[in-house]
Amino acid sequence: MNTEPLRRAAQALYYWERRQEVLANNLANAETDGFKGMRVFGRLVQDALLAPETATDFRQGTLTPTGGPLDLAIEGDGFFVVQTPAGERLSRGGALRLDEAGRLVDGAGRPLLGEDGPIVVPPGTVQIDAGGTVRVDGTEVGRLRVERLPEGAEPQRDAGTLFVPGPVRVPVPEGERHVRQGFVERSNVDPLDSLVEMITVQRSYAAIERGIRVMDGVLERIANDIGRVS
Amino acid sequence: MDPALRTAASGMAAQQTRIEVIANNLANVNTPGFKRSRAHFEDLLYQMAQGAATIGGAATATLPAIQVGRGTRLAAVQRIETQGPIEQTGRPLDVAIEGEGFFQVQLPNGVTAYTRDGSLMISDQGTLVTHGGYAILPGIDIPPDAASITISRNGVVTVQAAGQTEPIEIGRIELARFANPGGLLALGENLYMETPASGPALIGFPQEDGFGRLVQGSLEASNVEIVQEMVDMIAALRAYEINAKAVKASEDMAEITNGMVR
Repeated sequence: MNTEPLRRAAQALYYWERRQEVLANNLANAETDGFKGMRVFGRLVQDALLAPETATDFRQGTLTPTGGPLDLAIEGDGFFVVQTPAGERLSRGGALRLDEAGRLVDGAGRPLLGEDGPIVVPPGTVQIDAGGTVRVDGTEVGRLRVERLPEGAEPQRDAGTLFVPGPVRVPVPEGERHVRQGFVERSNVDPLDSLVEMITVQRSYAAIERGIRVMDGVLERIANDIGRVS
Repeated sequence: MDPALRTAASGMAAQQTRIEVIANNLANVNTPGFKRSRAHFEDLLYQMAQGAATIGGAATATLPAIQVGRGTRLAAVQRIETQGPIEQTGRPLDVAIEGEGFFQVQLPNGVTAYTRDGSLMISDQGTLVTHGGYAILPGIDIPPDAASITISRNGVVTVQAAGQTEPIEIGRIELARFANPGGLLALGENLYMETPASGPALIGFPQEDGFGRLVQGSLEASNVEIVQEMVDMIAALRAYEINAKAVKASEDMAEITNGMVR
């Protein structure tokens, strides 16, 4: 009995389930600052099996002014570097604050790294220019590291709207940086697009299910009816 | 499909928090010195839904690894410390701060709190207090025979006694400012407390070294803009609905799977 079509159909169901999961995550993060949506592509393996493949949508999210001196966003490409217990991670910025040691940290307390390690901010008015230089009352206290991903790289993700840098690190030259103080970058997920895609996922899933029922019916005939002498 | 259900549910919970924050902003649209807040979210752990794998016998092919995220969570609720509009009240003890800075206030337990609500009063002991009755720091005593009080832009408080022509200087208001005023802890009653997140207070006189100036006879209104909040509320509501639809879609798909076995 040839069950290969059933196996292919099951793999296709698996593909659409992954797609729904990724969509659900995009939608859940439609209001997460600095979030980059994920897309799922189908790829045919051995001309038969549909396998999911993901890619990050790195399009710019809308920059919203907040006026907060420690709200940072990057216009265009580039990432800030944050220190986590698991190593360095890349971040698109967001609402920062200071920790007990006066270091510049992100919302969850992970220090942002400058060229000489974490940046300690003394009391005063903080100014951060487009190149990422941090000044307090006019005195330079450090310069934020800004890196970009190597061409065509697809980074792994980490919780906290972070990306895991690959082995190749590419610092952004100071003239090409566009750090914006007093802004946060909104999520780049378009809920309407996602909603339309969700309908596609649901319909495709249902169609495959019908296909499986038909194949099941055929197999049933083969198993039970063929050869029966009535 | 359980993961997608939970993921979408976390999105609904996030939008609910956002609406709570917006509701509090709207409730304080007429609170002097109030600053609107904004909820910040971050994504949750990513799970390796499919490891990189090699399949097939003779003609092998590699499947790429894919990561699937598991939703969102609240990272912080941050106050937006922009200047509120200065509104004239004509009351001599209403003082607004135009620019950076907070009034320093002595709490009964000795801790210093900070406020931008400058609707001041004179206590029964003759000291300058907030309308909640907390003394302004440094303490300023108003003589009982004072007929009029003037607070200049740079914080100097002068009084004119009844029948006198010469004003007498009785003190100077000092302000505090912070590297990250959004990190101050809100105590209620328009009061804030210093935290590690805000950085330590930097004390100085109004109109000097980056401090704002004082405007007598005015109050700083809330920086909540109703239109802005309404737009945010609509966006949050729609995002909530769409996440609810994702819950429904995931549920429908589970039902389909369930119906496959006859």
